[in-house]
Amino acid sequence: MSVKSEEFFIQLENSVRNFDVDAATEVAQRALEAGVDPVEAIEKGLSKALKQVGQRFERGELFIVHLISAAEAMKAAISVFEPKILEGKMKRKALGRIVIGTVKGDIHDIGKNLVSVMLTAGGFEVYDLGKDVPAASFIEKAREVGADVIGASALLTTSMPAQKELADAISESGLKTEYIVGGAPVNEGWAREINAHYAADATSAVGLVKRLIGVEG
Amino acid sequence: MDILENLGLKVFSNQALKILDKSGATVNYDKQTAKIPQHLVDEALRKCPKTVILSARNPKLDVVLDGKHIVGTTDGTGISTIDLETGERRTPTKDDVAKTALIVDALDHIHMYYPTVTPMDFPGHAHVLHEYDAAIDNTKKHFISGATYLPEEASFLVEMASTLVGGREELTKRPIISAVACMMSPLIIPSEQTDSALEFARYRVPLILMTMPLTGATGPITVSGSILVGNAQILGAITIVQMASPGTPVIYSSYPLSMELKTGAFSVAFPEATLVTVGHIHMAKRYGLPSYGGGTISSSKVPDQQAAYEKSLCALTCALAGGDVCGTIGLLENYTVLSYEQMLIDYEMYEYMLKICAGIDVNYESLALETIYKVGMEGHFLAEKHTLKHANEVWTPMLSDPRPYATWKEAGGKNVVERARDKVKEILSTHRPPSLDQDIKKKIAEIIKEGEKKIPH
Repeated sequence: MSVKSEEFFIQLENSVRNFDVDAATEVAQRALEAGVDPVEAIEKGLSKALKQVGQRFERGELFIVHLISAAEAMKAAISVFEPKILEGKMKRKALGRIVIGTVKGDIHDIGKNLVSVMLTAGGFEVYDLGKDVPAASFIEKAREVGADVIGASALLTTSMPAQKELADAISESGLKTEYIVGGAPVNEGWAREINAHYAADATSAVGLVKRLIGVEG
Repeated sequence: MDILENLGLKVFSNQALKILDKSGATVNYDKQTAKIPQHLVDEALRKCPKTVILSARNPKLDVVLDGKHIVGTTDGTGISTIDLETGERRTPTKDDVAKTALIVDALDHIHMYYPTVTPMDFPGHAHVLHEYDAAIDNTKKHFISGATYLPEEASFLVEMASTLVGGREELTKRPIISAVACMMSPLIIPSEQTDSALEFARYRVPLILMTMPLTGATGPITVSGSILVGNAQILGAITIVQMASPGTPVIYSSYPLSMELKTGAFSVAFPEATLVTVGHIHMAKRYGLPSYGGGTISSSKVPDQQAAYEKSLCALTCALAGGDVCGTIGLLENYTVLSYEQMLIDYEMYEYMLKICAGIDVNYESLALETIYKVGMEGHFLAEKHTLKHANEVWTPMLSDPRPYATWKEAGGKNVVERARDKVKEILSTHRPPSLDQDIKKKIAEIIKEGEKKIPH
């Protein structure tokens, strides 16, 4: 690892620590051009810093909006590196892969977005399909990326049947993924009824995913 | 206006896009966006009735929203009930809807019924019809339909109400139902709620157009920023409704939540949320519209002190700001859990608040000068004619207990939640619901059956 790479790693770390999306994008661009290994950059520059931000958040030193901004900075840098990573068929080190989305018929996504960010900050690779997502799309993406967990959010009681539909689709698909659900009208009872795991909020979701995948921390 | 004219709204409803297009807004069907010019909004506001009357099946119970009255309702629509007997949370039932409607019937200052919970023991796609059914069995007061998502639901609800009041034309004259239509933040006009609102508007059923920004998440973290974003949504919704069905009564409604920064969780009753509501109450007044926001709401999970202070601080602040619909009794945990006990505790807070908002009478009689002279420097007022004459004007608590410790202990030493529980049981066992004509009941049952078949699911 060259001195030059080290410098880039430090600059990437700082952009995350300073919650600076623009800096993160800019440094990532320059790092790519300088031939820095993108996977290493993510691990040694971005993930490392985000983990520290996460720890400070847990200690109550930082607010959730800081954590989200730091994760956004990391995401911005990763999207700069992504094409190179795909091209070189490199593998990112992640604790696990999650496909997440708000179910079909529902366009509320703020809670799900919080979960996405917390999982990213927690060291997971998150594939966020957005909102109003049909069951088939969850399955397709999970298969494509080899997801360990599928997460589905619903805000409306009228959207909850779609969570059941997805549960059925997952079992029919033969995929060996865990299924977690959340959202304001959802509770433990409902999750059990549809053979899913329940997370009450973003922090619980991270703990749940770690447990399901069998990861420490 | 800057936002509406230059940034625009995301409009997921095709029907609404067409209405805006026809009225002169700049619409992009592919992107599903609309930019609304100032003159259109002004025209829409002019078409709004300045006094909104929410009728009841007993005309004596009609609600007049004219800016001079504070009005109370239940909060809704929850997805879980704290069982009155066991104290445990359970799935809500149609019986919960019925019982809370019966309680509302017994409370003089709660003027309307909004389903406190959604019954999970009946087909979900027809929940709106079952909520109304349970309500009409127990009270003649005005009914607010919360969370109607499909135009088909709206149409069956209109059918039920028309049956009760004697036809659709009669319903327009005497709207015994109104409906909530919730917009989405930051600047979204959703399809289902809007399309069903437009169905209600065909019969001039009053619409409660609601905004719920989450400060820092779906609205700016600063209070005035979220006031702005929410206001833009409501103006957009009002424009759509008035262009489609001019003269439809509308109520400006606001239920924001603000973020607890350490966890990202939201509360309906943190100071910022209350302030956004206050801002919207002021905006409503500016437009000459009745407002519906704040009230006795809380993020607490149980009927505890957090519930008490959140609810009282929010409700009183909004009432003092000039809100029209200010009592929203019965729920906990950000409008998701019904607590029977809390319902009466909220009512107590609400009645206290009404007394405060009624202000102080200063006149010859209330100054009591004559009596003061009569009683003199060392007498007492207990048996004075003046005291007897005005005694029934004083606030009487339903639950609050000011007695000394020993007396209170001897009476059971119950806290307010326990006393509320006793009172709930008393009301439920003694209050008689108004009767409903059997023929009409049969017709209603048929409409519900048809609704269960025809409403998409």
